Amino acid sequence: MQFTFQCKKKRCNFRNSNATPFPICEQGERYHGVLTGLSVEISDSTQSQSLHNNGCYGKGSKSRGGPASGDEDETLLLGLEESCFLAYYLKVLEIKNQSGTSVDWEGFLKVAQDLNDRFLENLACYLYLKSKNWVIKSGIKFGGDFLIYKQSPRNFHASFLVIVQTHSDLDYYQPKNLKGVQRVAETSDKDVLLLTVDCRTGLTVGQPKEDSSHIATPEALKEISVTETIVRRFNYSSFVQSKQ
Amino acid sequence: MCKMSGTMDLDAKFVEINPTNTFLSAEQLVTHRHLEIEATCGGLKRTQNEGSAAELEEITTALSNLRAQLSVPRIERLGGRALASWDEEQQAAEILRKDGKFGSFGYSVQSKLYLEHYEALFLLELGRLQLEYHDVTVSVEQAYVLLLGELESEKYHNYLVYSALSRAGYIVVRHKRHQPAAETVTRADCIWALLKEKVGHIPTAAHIKASPLYATVEKSMEDVKQLIMWPNTEQNENSGERIDFKFDTRKRKAHAASRDYPGSKKACLSTRKSLVDLPKTEATFARFENVFKKFDIVQLKSNDYPTDDQTTPPSFSISFDLHLHNGGFKKRTPKTPTFNVMILPPDAPFPTHSEIAQCQRQQLHTAPLLVVSVSESKQIQAFLYFIS
Repeated sequence: MQFTFQCKKKRCNFRNSNATPFPICEQGERYHGVLTGLSVEISDSTQSQSLHNNGCYGKGSKSRGGPASGDEDETLLLGLEESCFLAYYLKVLEIKNQSGTSVDWEGFLKVAQDLNDRFLENLACYLYLKSKNWVIKSGIKFGGDFLIYKQSPRNFHASFLVIVQTHSDLDYYQPKNLKGVQRVAETSDKDVLLLTVDCRTGLTVGQPKEDSSHIATPEALKEISVTETIVRRFNYSSFVQSKQ
Repeated sequence: MCKMSGTMDLDAKFVEINPTNTFLSAEQLVTHRHLEIEATCGGLKRTQNEGSAAELEEITTALSNLRAQLSVPRIERLGGRALASWDEEQQAAEILRKDGKFGSFGYSVQSKLYLEHYEALFLLELGRLQLEYHDVTVSVEQAYVLLLGELESEKYHNYLVYSALSRAGYIVVRHKRHQPAAETVTRADCIWALLKEKVGHIPTAAHIKASPLYATVEKSMEDVKQLIMWPNTEQNENSGERIDFKFDTRKRKAHAASRDYPGSKKACLSTRKSLVDLPKTEATFARFENVFKKFDIVQLKSNDYPTDDQTTPPSFSISFDLHLHNGGFKKRTPKTPTFNVMILPPDAPFPTHSEIAQCQRQQLHTAPLLVVSVSESKQIQAFLYFIS
């Protein structure tokens, strides 16, 4: 039985041939964002447009997708994982807090972990999927952690609903949770991808977060590895009929 | 007085006994077959009692229709059932008289044919078997208790799954574990097999892979290989060079794989490769490969060598093997099944990645693993696993 997944095309003719998966900054110029406590906000409209057009980062504060309302005061809201990725891995974004001082990796991590105690696990999965050229959006509307798209949400429907798990918490292996989330995903032709996060040293994952010395640099995440599991509902009666 | 006259009556007349089994003539059979009782229907659905004469008439016809429908005699071919008797010791039904082909049913021990409890119950429900227990015919209701036991057990779920899959059109047989040749595998065997696989691309034999030594040997070889390739890994842990080099080899492998089967993986057979590598084949990925490489930090867990789980049995077991009817199934010499079936009771969690991977390492299943979950409302749903 071969595993193949859907990349369902959207019926629109929008093509942006110059789009790149990353915002590339010329001459060391960086994007500027403000950490509001929930997300990172980009207020400059040309910067927001460029961030959203190159890799579909963020969400317009007054739009469903990218900033499209045309209002002067519309900002671009970046999620925690994507702003962390842009700032400390791609190094194209400068994050400042509301008082105007710039936030470093450790400071950001602290804020993010206060908001979401599974931030590190989510970030690891974000990086893992990003390095495979997926466009990653929040999966909250389908009850998961991420939705991943081929190319861009404008051209394709999401292929997977990603759920991040640790070894200590195996909630989604409970039948009612797994079946429920599968049904939700299936109505829109997605598969559920369970990413189980595993740490070689056993330090970061599933442990209390007081001790953060072991994640002093963004590269320390290499201690984390993930495993992929896809559980798919299988129609046994139509399978046997197709074989006859 | 009254009682007296009653007995007198009985003595006076012969009591006529109607045998429950009667024989029908051919004409009677034909008319019986085309007997149609249909309720008159029409009009809107009524929700309140009107008490009118028309309504009363409708109710009486509906009731008499129902009576007529239920009192149609059940006709069966005489001797159209196999006969079996329940063997308490074997916990199986011994077949005394066969009717028709038994195909995939049953197993024989010392030239006696036995039916498993679920097979017997299935045939009984279909009306193809008459089961006897100490020479008394067992009713369907009694058979449930007799065959599945009075206490709650996994037998009931097994039967549900068996019956649903059989009705769907599979041949369902008890899972047979693939038994390797019973020769002891030494450490040297494992090393040679590994070398042959790495250098000569000769696949490792199943019985060597199943050996508890295999994983430890594989790990130690991998450790030595790491040491040879990156002798001072510990010192320059943070230098980008080593990471780049390592990632480079990994990427090339991934590319070679995606050329062969783009975006497809065998069900439940861990290839230790990602299932979601497809966007890497896009042109943009090649264009920005250097940038992608920069943050290719979190890796797929490639080889998890568990410390001592080679010998521990897994927390779940495989119950049935599924074969297809047109697959040329033979009871004596079964081929590789189409699926292995694992039954999941209502509240049991799904097997995790590591459990499935362990199951694969121990080569417990020979075919794609079908996880069949029985819900609290006895609904049956099958699931397929795909793991990295």
